[in-house]
Amino acid sequence: MDWGLLLTQATINGLIIGLLYLLMAVGFTLVFGVMRMVNFAHGEFYMLGSFGAYFFTTGFHLPFLAAVALTFIGSIVVGGLLEWLILKPFRRDELNGMIVTIGMAMILQNLALMVFGPDPLSMPAVAEGTLAIGSIVIPNSRVYVVIFAMLVLVGLYLFLRYSKPGRALRAVVEDFEIASIQGIGARIYYPLGFGLGVGLAAVAGALMAPLFSVSPFIGATPLLKAFIVVVLGGLGSIPGAAFAGLVLGLIESYASLFFSSSTADMLIFAVVMAMLVLRPRGLLGKGDI
Amino acid sequence: MKFKHAFFAMTAMAVAFTQQVWAQDTLKLGALVTLSGAGASWGQGMKNAAELAADKVNAQGGLEVGGKKYKVEIIPYDDKYQANEAVTVANRLVFEDKVQYIIGPVGSAPVLAIQPITEKNKVLVFTLGFTTKALGPDKQYTFRPPVTTAEVSQPQIDWLVKTQGIKKVGALFPNDETGQSIAKDLEDAYKKAGSSLATKEFFERERVDFVPLLTRMMAKGIDAIELDGNAPATSGLILKQARELGFKGKIVRTGGPATQEIINVAGKGAAEGMFVHTPMDPQQPSTKTYVDLYAAKYKTPLNGFSPSFYDATNMLFEAMRRAGTVTDSDKVKVELEKIKDFPGALGTLSWTGEKTYGINHQLNAPFFVAEVKDGAEVIRARCTVDGCQ
Repeated sequence: MDWGLLLTQATINGLIIGLLYLLMAVGFTLVFGVMRMVNFAHGEFYMLGSFGAYFFTTGFHLPFLAAVALTFIGSIVVGGLLEWLILKPFRRDELNGMIVTIGMAMILQNLALMVFGPDPLSMPAVAEGTLAIGSIVIPNSRVYVVIFAMLVLVGLYLFLRYSKPGRALRAVVEDFEIASIQGIGARIYYPLGFGLGVGLAAVAGALMAPLFSVSPFIGATPLLKAFIVVVLGGLGSIPGAAFAGLVLGLIESYASLFFSSSTADMLIFAVVMAMLVLRPRGLLGKGDI
Repeated sequence: MKFKHAFFAMTAMAVAFTQQVWAQDTLKLGALVTLSGAGASWGQGMKNAAELAADKVNAQGGLEVGGKKYKVEIIPYDDKYQANEAVTVANRLVFEDKVQYIIGPVGSAPVLAIQPITEKNKVLVFTLGFTTKALGPDKQYTFRPPVTTAEVSQPQIDWLVKTQGIKKVGALFPNDETGQSIAKDLEDAYKKAGSSLATKEFFERERVDFVPLLTRMMAKGIDAIELDGNAPATSGLILKQARELGFKGKIVRTGGPATQEIINVAGKGAAEGMFVHTPMDPQQPSTKTYVDLYAAKYKTPLNGFSPSFYDATNMLFEAMRRAGTVTDSDKVKVELEKIKDFPGALGTLSWTGEKTYGINHQLNAPFFVAEVKDGAEVIRARCTVDGCQ
């Protein structure tokens, strides 16, 4: 075996998957930052996002980009509405709020099971063929997905950095009370933060739909990964989640290159536990845990 | 179409009518299967098979045993493909619902987990679990309707190695009881056929990204990937990602019918030319009847395991008729074991397994090797336990 080649290939695989973890985790941590609450329904929005992309492309024959955009907007609206209708009474009651999100996750998954059935659906690949650089092979479908994911992340960065609502949202994440003193209203920013967070989960789902399959049960794994990423990166820290997402993707990829995949899975949790012991606030977290 | 509707209306009326005329006794069968998660399509196929068999006898006014007519009712529970869930619902079925016959479970770990309960309470179990440990002389009440890897792999692998010239095979297995036992069977079978299972990988069941594992496998120069032992959706993902990475070799699946689901996930293009095990020949009239029956009631594609459970449920009913009781599961078991040359949907069926398991509780059914052409199975070889042609 050519180790140099395998290592490069593993790095690329790891970065691609890491980018997708990143999307999941940024949304997850955004919701936590705003609402101080772990959203257990995050994975189900991922699942709904992939169904959204599936039906927009195969049912309405929309181009992939339009399908992803529509899914994103739709899920921000749905997420915002859900926050406003269901989670509003729990805004100061995080523990019960978390249990509500567990309930929401179950309801969403079982609704999807009733509506779509248990059989996995296949979304046609965005692109055929492979991109070969030397002997390194990257499936074209993944290249496209990576480009879209980058676009979303750049868009999110610009929004949070420069737009007024984005900056307000960051202020809420930083310190809710001081933000409210400055006149930033919870009325708008709770639903907006939640909607944006689950919107990102839905985009991750929509982007991953052509790579993996679409079924009501696909939400669990990405939720777990998002959890690992935000623990590694520091709960509530957006740059931390971004960094840890890529790191997790790379660790996974290298680990499964050198070890059997069960060992690799164990290794990741060993890393997470070591992190919690040695640096409980995460890589870039600055919280007071 | 009109005729079909009329037929159903009549059946429904007949059922309703008979329910009114006789204040009927009910025979409850448990369907302890996987209804959610990756194994859900197998579980659905098993539950639906039992329901169709029940519908058939209910349409005739119920199952006639010892001069009494019993309305057959199927009680479905989801074990989520997990041993602990299976134990919980098995307890419910046995002690609360007072069920003496269980269709399921799907997985190997679940069946091994519920056997202490079912064997002790003399509950007949019809499992799909592929582990060789599921059947044995100490497990008098467990039967297995579908032929497993232990029965089908050798003849098929011999045929594939001989006709397709496969030399170095790579395979991925879920890291649990099912995966481990299939991996061992396949390794022996490929060696015996003069080929080799050059590389094998184990992964956790919920994994969806196989690119790192496939990269490593392909670097070892394999010329075929074996998908046996994986759940349908997972197999589809492996196939899709292997083709996306530019894998040009053969894809084979020598056990566990899942062709339709694999094509659903991977797409027609990726599945073209894949060799699969299939336990049924849809051209055979008795099988076709069942496929049509299934399609009429359930709109989802039929999973290949389903017919064997339809046949097994019908054989169970026959055993009850012969035993003259539905409550004495010992007598029913003895009669069930005696059934020979039963005309089922799959063909003529008898029990086998003495040599492998020490007990004749394995259904002996014909099976086939098919090649996927344009999204459909084309039968390439007909097999029995003795070999393929």
